[in-house]
Amino acid sequence: MDFDAIVVGSGISGGWVAKELCERGLKTLVIERGRHVNHRTDYLDFSAPWQVPNRGKVPEAEVAEHYAVQSQCYAFNSATKQWWVRDSEHPYSTPPGQPYHWIRGYHLGGRSLNWGRQTYRMSDYDFGANALDGNGVDWPIRYADISPWYDRVERFAGISGAIEGLAQLPDGQFMPPMDLNCLETEFKKKIEQEYPTRRVTSGRCAHLTEPTAEQLALGRGSCQMRHTCERGCGYGAYFSSLSATLPAAQKSGNLTIVTDAIVERLDYDPAKRRISGVRVIDANTKQGKSYQARIVFMCASTIGTTQILLASQSEYFPDGLANRSGALGRYLMDHVVGIGASGNHPGFTDRYYYGRRPTGFYLPRYINLTENARVDFLRGFGFQGYSGRSTWERAQNEAGVGAELKQRLRSPGPWGMQLIGFGEMLPRANNRVTLHGTRRDRWGIPLVHIDCSHGDNERRLADRANRDAVEMLLAAGFENVAPLGDLKPPGHSVHEMGTARMGRDPATSVLNARNQAHDVQNLFVTDGSCMASSGTVNPSLTYMALSARAANYAADRLASGEI
Amino acid sequence: MSDPSNHNLNRRALLLGAVLLVGGGAALTRLARGPGIFSGKSVRAFDAEQFALLEQVCEVIIPTTDTPGAIAAGVPAFMRQILEEWGSDTSRSEIASVLEVIDKLAWSRFGAAFLELNPERRLEVVRGLDAERLARHDPAYGKFKHLVLLGYYQSEIGATHELRYELVPGAWRANLPLSEVGRASAV
Repeated sequence: MDFDAIVVGSGISGGWVAKELCERGLKTLVIERGRHVNHRTDYLDFSAPWQVPNRGKVPEAEVAEHYAVQSQCYAFNSATKQWWVRDSEHPYSTPPGQPYHWIRGYHLGGRSLNWGRQTYRMSDYDFGANALDGNGVDWPIRYADISPWYDRVERFAGISGAIEGLAQLPDGQFMPPMDLNCLETEFKKKIEQEYPTRRVTSGRCAHLTEPTAEQLALGRGSCQMRHTCERGCGYGAYFSSLSATLPAAQKSGNLTIVTDAIVERLDYDPAKRRISGVRVIDANTKQGKSYQARIVFMCASTIGTTQILLASQSEYFPDGLANRSGALGRYLMDHVVGIGASGNHPGFTDRYYYGRRPTGFYLPRYINLTENARVDFLRGFGFQGYSGRSTWERAQNEAGVGAELKQRLRSPGPWGMQLIGFGEMLPRANNRVTLHGTRRDRWGIPLVHIDCSHGDNERRLADRANRDAVEMLLAAGFENVAPLGDLKPPGHSVHEMGTARMGRDPATSVLNARNQAHDVQNLFVTDGSCMASSGTVNPSLTYMALSARAANYAADRLASGEI
Repeated sequence: MSDPSNHNLNRRALLLGAVLLVGGGAALTRLARGPGIFSGKSVRAFDAEQFALLEQVCEVIIPTTDTPGAIAAGVPAFMRQILEEWGSDTSRSEIASVLEVIDKLAWSRFGAAFLELNPERRLEVVRGLDAERLARHDPAYGKFKHLVLLGYYQSEIGATHELRYELVPGAWRANLPLSEVGRASAV
């Protein structure tokens, strides 16, 4: 055996698994398909606006040729471009007229470098949702199973947030929250008066506001309120694999990382009923190689992991590795986005703020929990909120030139607010990732075909989220209130999940309650593909907790000789 | 003076260029070819006369007041660079079309090239076009104005002299009197 454990992928999930396994004394290999990235020195976070290439603009022809999908992401610009794949080099297919936004980056640390950093716990309303309404399979765990692991990952990652005592948004191990601005404070007051079971709280985010000794020892420091996070943070102030988990794993002396190594398939030994090898292709030389270990963790992102497992078919698993259930590749979910509303507020013209806060506020789910009347859909939505005074950019749409314009723009413009909804998507069998029948990428690996669309429930939910957002802004005294626009295609919130779901029954799910494949005992999957439902909240914190939990379970079973 | 890789050199050259222009603008305008300075074509690189027009239009939109204006902040050079490095052919022809319209307006209103007009008339031409084009959401003009504003307010002069910018704020203070903070943040 080359290693005790192999972890495929170095993003949020893979980083956590590597840290936990290494700290348990296991010789661990992390395989990353993308290039190596140096923490700090490869980031453009110390470039002022006038030093950023073309002031943030990526050449129009380059976007059209190479980044048609990736450029849809809000965080894509010339200072962050290195964190996205070129669509031209990493194609996938979708049915005609049914786009799916598969937004991703192939490099050490994966999307932990440019993620949105919003971190919320799922609650028993989420873990119980499938059992309650019969969509999807019942989660094999409940909040009590994961709660201590949320504690563990929050203490290490560092989460800023406020204690609220809400059943639908459990509190955690928080560092001090980032304060609401004056408009948000007013909005909170008005909303909580008008709607007694709705709550407005500081956006919980993976930023250090009061670093612990453990975090400082890893070279991390307090958030400097620059809000250039998606470029990478030289202070290590937000959680990423490069700022936190991989350095911790490295300290153990048990970590090996290979980059530019694309996993082509996992080999299955039918006699031992185990994964016997992980086959990789060198991204640059296209040379093949195989690694062996006692356990394998798949953390290659939802669609990436699914692609590899589907491609690892054999006579024992003709429909894809660990896929006796037929659930592999099905039940793809994202969060419904493109919903919500925006508006301006006429007041507070003499108030302002200092610094660039890297989060906003959060208005957790109420629909189908505390407000059930006249609801014509299942599940719910929450809102991330952002507000501030408009900058010079407002002048692009306002008439005016010359000294008058210049004078006007010296002062901040009117206050604005956006309520950005994130809605739950039901797990449906037809929302599916498969391998393309004929097309292959430059390494000879079959392309994925993504067939995913919103259904009636998502559309009804979106309508209600738009209506509620408009109503709340009007109730709080906003003007020029309008819904945000059209539903975005699935994938757009970059919360893809569900294609190798956990469940109690091996006949209907891929993974058990410990993220272990029902069919292959030394195979674990802890990225988003394990999710049995999408819940309402941003999922990354849950991936962290499930990864840490599964890794420690695997280490226990290895130690006891049960795997 | 357009080496984008050396910001300091670039800025110094721009300031020098601004000084030269005070005397140089009038000489250039004598070469004016009459209406049709771009002949309706896209530009990949501005010629001297076109660039002089670009400079003066930018300076009308963001003039030198108690703080430096567009030319001192390097906006025209930024526009030239962004059209070379960022702009598609469509964007290049859109920007050229706006400048061309401005020069034609000068001819039709005042019977002279834009560069030959006095400051009041230049302002009148640009202000009128600005109001009319924004009212009808003209994408070409919207792009032009966006680039001028971006060029100025995200330049070092625009961000740090005209507005306020801190590379490392170091703190989030959520609720302050505007008077205590001073000017608008550039970001």
